[in-house]
Amino acid sequence: MLRATLKGMASRKARLVLTSLAVVLGTMFVAAAMVLTATMEKSVSGVIADAFTGVDAVVTSAEDPAAAQGNTPSATLIPADVLDTVRGVDGVDTADGDVSGQVNAIGDDGKLVGAFAPTIGFNWNDQSTGYNEIRDGRGPQADDEVIVSAQFVTDAGLSIGDTVTAYSYSADRADYEIVGVFGLSGDRDSLAGETQMGFTTAEAQRLLTQGENAYMTIYVTGDAATGDIADAIGADYRVQTGEEASEEAAEGFAAVADIMGYIFLGFGLVAVFVSVFLIINTFTIIVAQRQRELALLRAIGAARGQVVGSVLAEAAVIGVIASIAGLGLGVLLGWGLSQLVSSSAMGGLPVELEVPPTSLWALAVGIGVTVLSAIIPAVRASGVPPVAAMREAVNPPKPLRGITIAGLAVTAVGGVLVALGLTDNLGDLGLTGFLTGVGIAFVGITLLTPILSRPLVALLGAVMSWSFSGRLGKLNAGRNPRRTAITASALMIAVALVTGIATIVSSFKETTAELADQNLDSDLIVMGQQGANIPTFAPETLAEIKALPDVSAVGDMYGEFFGAEVDGRQTALLASEDLPTSLGIFSGTVAEGSADLPDDGLAVNESAAADYGVELGDTVPVTFADGTEVPLRVSAILDDALLTDGWWVAPAQIEHFTVPKPMQAYIQVADGADVDAVQDQVDDILADEPEVSVTNNADFVEQQTSQLDILLNSVQILLALAIIIAIIGVVNTLVLSVLERTRELGLLRAIGMTRGQARRMITVESVIICLFGAVLGIAVGIGLGWTVQQALEEEGLTSFALPWDLIVTYLVAAVAVGLLAAIAPAARAAKLNVLNAIAYE
Amino acid sequence: MPLANPPAPQLTRTRSAVTAANLWRAYGSGEAQVVALRDVSVQFASGAFTAIMGPSGSGKSTLMHCLAGLDTTDRGTVRIGETAITGLNDKALTKLRRDKIGFIFQQFNLLPTLTAEENILLPASIAGTKADPEWIARIIATLDLADRLTHKPTELSGGQQQRVACARALATRPEVVFADEPTGNLDTRSSGEVLRFLRRSVDDFGQTIVMVTHDPSAAAHADRVVFLADGQIVEDLHRPTADAVIDTMRGFENRVPLAGEAR
Ligand SMILES: Nc1ncnc2c1ncn2[C@@H]1O[C@H](COP(=O)(O)OP(=O)(O)OP(=O)(O)O)[C@@H](O)[C@H]1O
Ligand SMILES: [Mg+2]
Repeated sequence: MLRATLKGMASRKARLVLTSLAVVLGTMFVAAAMVLTATMEKSVSGVIADAFTGVDAVVTSAEDPAAAQGNTPSATLIPADVLDTVRGVDGVDTADGDVSGQVNAIGDDGKLVGAFAPTIGFNWNDQSTGYNEIRDGRGPQADDEVIVSAQFVTDAGLSIGDTVTAYSYSADRADYEIVGVFGLSGDRDSLAGETQMGFTTAEAQRLLTQGENAYMTIYVTGDAATGDIADAIGADYRVQTGEEASEEAAEGFAAVADIMGYIFLGFGLVAVFVSVFLIINTFTIIVAQRQRELALLRAIGAARGQVVGSVLAEAAVIGVIASIAGLGLGVLLGWGLSQLVSSSAMGGLPVELEVPPTSLWALAVGIGVTVLSAIIPAVRASGVPPVAAMREAVNPPKPLRGITIAGLAVTAVGGVLVALGLTDNLGDLGLTGFLTGVGIAFVGITLLTPILSRPLVALLGAVMSWSFSGRLGKLNAGRNPRRTAITASALMIAVALVTGIATIVSSFKETTAELADQNLDSDLIVMGQQGANIPTFAPETLAEIKALPDVSAVGDMYGEFFGAEVDGRQTALLASEDLPTSLGIFSGTVAEGSADLPDDGLAVNESAAADYGVELGDTVPVTFADGTEVPLRVSAILDDALLTDGWWVAPAQIEHFTVPKPMQAYIQVADGADVDAVQDQVDDILADEPEVSVTNNADFVEQQTSQLDILLNSVQILLALAIIIAIIGVVNTLVLSVLERTRELGLLRAIGMTRGQARRMITVESVIICLFGAVLGIAVGIGLGWTVQQALEEEGLTSFALPWDLIVTYLVAAVAVGLLAAIAPAARAAKLNVLNAIAYE
Repeated sequence: MPLANPPAPQLTRTRSAVTAANLWRAYGSGEAQVVALRDVSVQFASGAFTAIMGPSGSGKSTLMHCLAGLDTTDRGTVRIGETAITGLNDKALTKLRRDKIGFIFQQFNLLPTLTAEENILLPASIAGTKADPEWIARIIATLDLADRLTHKPTELSGGQQQRVACARALATRPEVVFADEPTGNLDTRSSGEVLRFLRRSVDDFGQTIVMVTHDPSAAAHADRVVFLADGQIVEDLHRPTADAVIDTMRGFENRVPLAGEAR
């Protein structure tokens, strides 16, 4: 039996190669994801271990450093006397205090340095040189000297001998002379693209510890027991061995590598999912072709089980070969991707290839999916009655009722899961529930595609029926709804995913645009890109902008986002120098009281007031992050409005804010004045404000959403894989159609159909299948996007917008894919030998 | 494009619709070579119904395929009407088949996706022309297919399918209709209907028909029977009766002992 199977396979080489390709691609991505994750983890932990080489113990504050925001609160600092105590512990050779945190450096272009601004500032000491290598110059010896990382030189456009201005959130600007450049061990410019500046310890403390003589970390060498150190300094501090600290640090990076790995794994699984369709189709086709042969086997005494076995054996052979190939290619791809990630995002981190044992899962997935997908066709094959060997094979179209009902049920289950996942009913499993729901819904919709194919194929075909061969192609596409449906489904899934994401992205853009449009009565906006800290600018700058002759009004916003409390509850505080004007610009309105707040006044929107149980005239205790506690009186209640909701304090209170500087300004240009000209003037005023810039409303929306475009593009690129598999499926189906209809083609050619017409007929069939898949995918994707938008409406995704340009692109691409997929099958149809075709059995 | 009205029968009797001269066709090479046609020369008069008979493997289908431009010849020439088809390229041959030749095969004559009517109009549709509605109506009436036009082939009996195939073959008023065992799969009654129609299309419409058959009574409907054996024409019978055909077959059954295929 096995020999018969293998011989049979040899005679179906082309189709098997195509099917294998699908399995190979899916397995490859799954394996690559695992290799990428493991490789990045290994490489990063290698580098971090390097950094801790020679460090025997590490002392940090017992306070959770993650709680520290912006400024490092003094609670997590280690005072200098602790360092002295550590130095006195028996067995401690050296102990160095490390200060590090965020500083803003102003580059050659007047803006903040670094793609990942702010820059990491630290105290350069002997310990620093173990891991950092001085490339040029020397370390800082005076407080106005600095050594910078090689990445800093690249990003800032400044180098040795240049002067650089830097400041932190607690320290004003100062100028430093760059006296040295350092790189990381392994000849890298950075660990992950970050920029660094090394100061003297005193200067680092001025910038980062508010001048306190304290450190964030103490690095110890020597054979002192960690327990001894801990005993000496007390329970306020945590003492780890160098190894422990290194592992902990590596874990943070590992999380990043994991996320990347998961993303690739996700796309790999989509590819695997799509190949399931292809495999089912291929085996259905193979079984259909072998119907007589299988019936003959049954007639001469093969048991049903043997027939199933022979089909499954074929699947297993393909699965094993293709999965091994996929695994091999996946390792290569994973290695290549690691190199890419390393060079593009990790500053040229040396990649150490690691093939984790888990990558063998890719093998299991590949083989499992192939064999499981073949089960349905195999069981169907075993149902071929022995008499089928004797009579002409007629396959009447099976009724679609059962499959349609099943499809509706499965789609409903998927839909419910999606809804549950999106509405927080599943708790932590929300995302899993949502994704599983999407997967199940795809299966359900696939089951529905045969019934949908009838009207849709007829409709799409109608467009193409201008030529007779087109009409024949349309009829052929509608001939086997199940096959057309399953072929189109593969494409549907890929298109649905990109359309879904594109819809969400366009909804985000629309929401942002509407927000700007409807809520903002301004022409120009001054704000910065949100990074680790909220960008601000000098209040004097605001005054200068207000003084510009063509500026009619300026709305401004100050903010305190950490550590402030109203009535004992943590909340953000807002302030404006001129609240009435700002409200006008932010489309806010006063319900009760006056927005012209007295110094002890408070304004709050209706729902927040209701939430806190306060009314106009009530006095509420307000605590600022600096510890000041004042009773403030509610002197205005605002109508709820997107941009003005929250607690507003009077300008007099701004001095208590952690950063007493405006974050944003919204500029109204006087009627008839040239907005561009005003923008230029504001730009000039902002020349000395590295954190913010001025944009017009359109650019603002563009800026806010540019990240989303990058995301969308990445998704499209990654889904190209699934699309390739789907195309293979279309080719496969078409080749089969041509084979199955050899006699018909022969007849048509005999009675005068030209080769060109035969080619066109197959091409139209192909294009219809692809368009069908794309149309379905677009519909499902829009549904998916809409569901997500509805779920996120509460979170502020208020508008729903269709990505029309992309939808049109996908439709055009579907036609192109259809044309492409048809090339080989159509050529086959055209080359068909008429005489053989007529005699074809 | 439909041809001009068929020429009056009396004028065409003298003209030959298909002419083959010194046709050779061999398959394979060396030891395994089979010579399917050896130096066959034959003319089929316009407006005549000719049957080709002969034992299985004698080259009947090969001859028909060569005459119809479906197969290439090794040597010799074929003319359809005034057109020499030997040496024509695929495109020209396809066009010739479309416009000047009608086909009826033993089975698989119809496209399953199309209705009977669409199958009848298929050659015109392929050519992108409109068939002459009066002519089509006449064929349909003659073949008694009027109430079957919207049916798909699977909903038709074998006899009805072959009648649709006949209508399709005649729809473009081809120079010649080639039929390879058109009644091979039919019962006596259905084959009688098909044969009577072929006869009528010759008599009433002046159609030229060349039909391969194994059945002496089918051959008896023809004006002439050409006998092939071993790739050569061995007999040429005019105005045959079934008995005469049977006698002739017996005659060369003795000469070619293997040929016992008269079904
Ligand atoms: N494509 C081919 N390749 C090789 N040999 C062929 C081919 N076509 C026909 N032959 C051979 O040529 C000879 C004539 O075949 P042909 O089909 O013309 O016979 P036939 O008279 O139509 O027979 P039947 O009555 O069985 O249909 C046979 O010996 C056949 O084996
Ligand atoms: Mg034959």
